[in-house]
Amino acid sequence: MYENDRDVRNDLFQEIVLQLWKSFSSFRGESKISTWMYRIALNTAISGYRKQTRLLKTEDLREMHLNISDAGSDDYDENFQKLQWAIRQLSEIERAMIMMALEEIPYEEIAETIGITQNNVRVRMNRIREKLKKLMCP
Amino acid sequence: MELEDLKSIWKSGETVFQPKNEQEIAIMLKGRSISIVNKLKRNVWFELVFAIVVSLGLLLYALSLEQGAMKWTSISLLLMCLASTIYFIKKLSVLNRVQGINDNLHDTISFLITNLTSYLKFYRNSYTVLYPVYFLLGLLFSVLERGTDKFVVFLSQPSTIVYLLFMAGLCFLVSTWFTRWYLKKLYGDHLEKLKKILDELNQQ
Repeated sequence: MYENDRDVRNDLFQEIVLQLWKSFSSFRGESKISTWMYRIALNTAISGYRKQTRLLKTEDLREMHLNISDAGSDDYDENFQKLQWAIRQLSEIERAMIMMALEEIPYEEIAETIGITQNNVRVRMNRIREKLKKLMCP
Repeated sequence: MELEDLKSIWKSGETVFQPKNEQEIAIMLKGRSISIVNKLKRNVWFELVFAIVVSLGLLLYALSLEQGAMKWTSISLLLMCLASTIYFIKKLSVLNRVQGINDNLHDTISFLITNLTSYLKFYRNSYTVLYPVYFLLGLLFSVLERGTDKFVVFLSQPSTIVYLLFMAGLCFLVSTWFTRWYLKKLYGDHLEKLKKILDELNQQ
């Protein structure tokens, strides 16, 4: 959800794997391993990574604008595509937060990963939900 | 639409993540990091090695020469290279402090902004010092080429003074503008992006 271009996405995935590998020795077990992994991945994707300028390929444009997936075109699939599109309209922080929430990460862990209070997570999550609602059902 | 509805939509269309096998992970781990700090470090290492190699070459060349203008030119260039070597080592030590990827996003971004800003400031300031040095070296080579007496006569002419002042001003303006533009193009946009994200995180 962070990158539309497939090559850039693969580069980012590789960079996250590298950073996880390099940073593992500093994992002290004070937080859950999943929280630590999210933290490294988010730090890499949002703050430590400057993407290469590339020309978008046709397949990426198709993927980005039409959000074509392999599944059929039932209601759920349409809603899923709308949700994907709506998430891409959010800011990077909002995208990170909603992705963690959708992956069932508790607010406590989201707060710890982002570095804000749980209360702030709750407030922001309500705003994000409202934004998504407006984007998906204008 | 509640969060639970969004979760169920998400789960309905979520594509199954294809786990990577050991070989694929091993290939990934052999790859080079493309993080901004690692890229900066690689560039500085390249510059440092280049400066050391050129220094050694100049030293050997200077030692092989008898007295003369070329010997002094080589020695002055060698001194410049040695100064650059110290400068590159200082740059590396500044970059080595830019770590902290294990902190939460807010702290990591704050830390990166502080360190990248100080790195860029150091970069800009050192070039502000280096350009006048290059200019003075140019004058020195001119003295060596013309001979001291001829150069003093040349320098005493008002038109020469005006010309030199004009060239010094032009060099300063162009080099300052170019350094600012180059740094902004390379890292400025990334820094601006980080500042925007931090502003967003600081909003309640």
